[in-house]
Amino acid sequence: MSLRIERRLSIPGWLPVAVPVGSVILVLTGHDPVATDRRLLERGFFASGAISGTLVTATPLLLTALAAAAAFRMQVWNIGAEGQLYLGAVGASGAGIALHALPGPLIIAAMVVAGILAGAAWGAIPGILRAAFRTNEIITSLMLNYVAGLFITYLIYDSHSYWRDLSTFTARVFPQGKYLADAASWPRFDLLGMMIPFGFLLGILAAALVWLTATATRFGFEMRVIGDSPNAARYAGMRVRRRIVTVMAMAGGLAGLGGASEVGDFRHVLDPRGIQQAGFGYAGIVVAALARLNPFAVIVVAVLLGGLANAGYSLQGPDFPAGLVGTLQGLILFFALGGEMLVRYRIRWRGPQTAAPAPAPVAVAEAGS
Amino acid sequence: MKSRVIGCLTVLAGLALSACGTGGSGSTSPSAGAPLKVAWIYVGSRSDAGWTKAHDDGRLMVEQHFGSRVQTTYKENVPEGPQVQQVIEQLVQDGNKLIFATSFGFQDAMDAEAKLHPDVFFEQATGFKTETNLAEYFGAAEDADYLTGMALGAATRNGKIGFVAPFPIPEVIREINAVTLGAQALHPGATVQVEWTNTWFDPAKEKQAAQSLIQRGVDAIGQGQDSPATGDAAKAAGVKWTGYDSNQQQFAPDVWLTGTVYNWGPYYTRRVQAVMDGTWKSGSYYGSMKDNFVDIAPFGTSVPQSARDAINQKKAALKSGSFYEFTGPIKDQSGAVHVTAGQKLTLNDILTMDWFVQGVIGNPKGS
Repeated sequence: MSLRIERRLSIPGWLPVAVPVGSVILVLTGHDPVATDRRLLERGFFASGAISGTLVTATPLLLTALAAAAAFRMQVWNIGAEGQLYLGAVGASGAGIALHALPGPLIIAAMVVAGILAGAAWGAIPGILRAAFRTNEIITSLMLNYVAGLFITYLIYDSHSYWRDLSTFTARVFPQGKYLADAASWPRFDLLGMMIPFGFLLGILAAALVWLTATATRFGFEMRVIGDSPNAARYAGMRVRRRIVTVMAMAGGLAGLGGASEVGDFRHVLDPRGIQQAGFGYAGIVVAALARLNPFAVIVVAVLLGGLANAGYSLQGPDFPAGLVGTLQGLILFFALGGEMLVRYRIRWRGPQTAAPAPAPVAVAEAGS
Repeated sequence: MKSRVIGCLTVLAGLALSACGTGGSGSTSPSAGAPLKVAWIYVGSRSDAGWTKAHDDGRLMVEQHFGSRVQTTYKENVPEGPQVQQVIEQLVQDGNKLIFATSFGFQDAMDAEAKLHPDVFFEQATGFKTETNLAEYFGAAEDADYLTGMALGAATRNGKIGFVAPFPIPEVIREINAVTLGAQALHPGATVQVEWTNTWFDPAKEKQAAQSLIQRGVDAIGQGQDSPATGDAAKAAGVKWTGYDSNQQQFAPDVWLTGTVYNWGPYYTRRVQAVMDGTWKSGSYYGSMKDNFVDIAPFGTSVPQSARDAINQKKAALKSGSFYEFTGPIKDQSGAVHVTAGQKLTLNDILTMDWFVQGVIGNPKGS
């Protein structure tokens, strides 16, 4: 018996049936699926203030997902958005603290630039390592996440750094970063009652830039060639190493902007514990994959995922364990991802009567035909 | 791209269809005699066998005490940061009138929400900010830590004790100091070697830190962590162990000595009662051994009777107020007298404690 996967020619009619699996689990665990789904949608998207809450999570996800997508499109595997986001937060909070006396717009502009630069510098490290020593950037960018995590913990808990508040009684009771001046808080825009964070708008702008770079510039074209065939690119005279470093720096800059937004839009302080608990960098990879690396789809998926996360807390309670919330969220993602694959491919079972006597190579050859 | 959008829409359409299927099975309207809705926000999982479980035991005590007069709920694994404000907002929208947040990092959001909802009462554990409708509560774990340290002192033979510690912050530093002073009371000259984990809850990291201490020769080990993973390492090595937060004896009964435990339940019960009576007032509660807010867990079988007697005697003295562990003379790590004879450290002194007593091996600034 063997399995094989082949392309579909048409979209299967049974696909929508897959969705109610979550409902089956809800019924089995003694919950009303209708009320649950209703609450999920309301609290994630439709209740008053729900979108504002959803965007709190969606904003960093959007930027880390762009950091993953921009690199993945060019076959550079940046797993380091997590660490690049931390460094962006370090850069932005540093700029915010240093320039606290300036007018608000100047501080905010400096925070944006500092966040992008810090993230880009951190992202460039695995890029340089790959360009110079052909190291695997999946490993180096991943390991640098842990380095970055220890670094921000060090800044607040283990040292008397520039970022750490040492003056107030509060800070002596529990180590914390210096809070930014009110003028350094990024603005929010009221759109029909939804509070849109400035970082989210920057994220939309960034998505457009990523798309433009990939599709309408010589740089984007070269990266596609490099991704498909590095030798051909080299033969054509493209500077492969430089391009790889640039892509990693660009991705790092996007995640760094996410870190700057975390500080400017929401936290107003460098908070090593909270920012590490959130894990936006890793979740961003999921968003990028769900969006099939399309920068505009990333915006939609980030909001969808942000809403799921936001609504998830609302579902939780004594009769609704956190594990069940996770299961539901996982199922929705699974069907979005798995459904996506099953829309394009189908799985064919081959009966035992043909597969059993036949030697393995034949089956493989058949599958390939 | 197109097929991806279809996939996405299918999922959403499925959700929307089932959501629109029936009429309001949604919120219940409040009526006279309706139960008081009370909520807890946990940073960890209520099955962590430590910090969060201790709070959840308190919640269950409230449920048991008030029965149908309360309706409790909780949100677990809530990360510290801007998301928590949304979680609090939702709890308010759900009609909760009293909300307890049990991790320091929730404080800013609690403060912001307290200002937005003056008709809701908020309580922040381990915090320091108060408003007319935001109170703050914690307790003198150091009293129980001293007794826990005595158990470690009685258990060690070579005088080398290990301690798995989360963060180099005053709360943990005073815990380590109290443990050390307690250990030295029963084993003069005992040392306490500190291993920082930089996390409250990470069983793998905690176990690793414990193993590293055991390899360096400690024969009794304590912890300030939220999970019983240290006990796991202690059990494997046959090293005596003290726990934290909750009674964790079941995880390694053979090596278990005792542990510092919090009884949040009585406080929670009093506060819920106060809201019902309309007598709730803001404030900063610092519980103690006297009102049973902190205590030590039941002794393990390996604690000798002589040590039990000594510990129980000190416990009685702590309760009556005739003994206080941070009374001079106390020397710091360098051997210099930090607290002069007869001087008692004030609450402010210990809330900002950033130095180790003599006998602690480690850096109070971390790493």
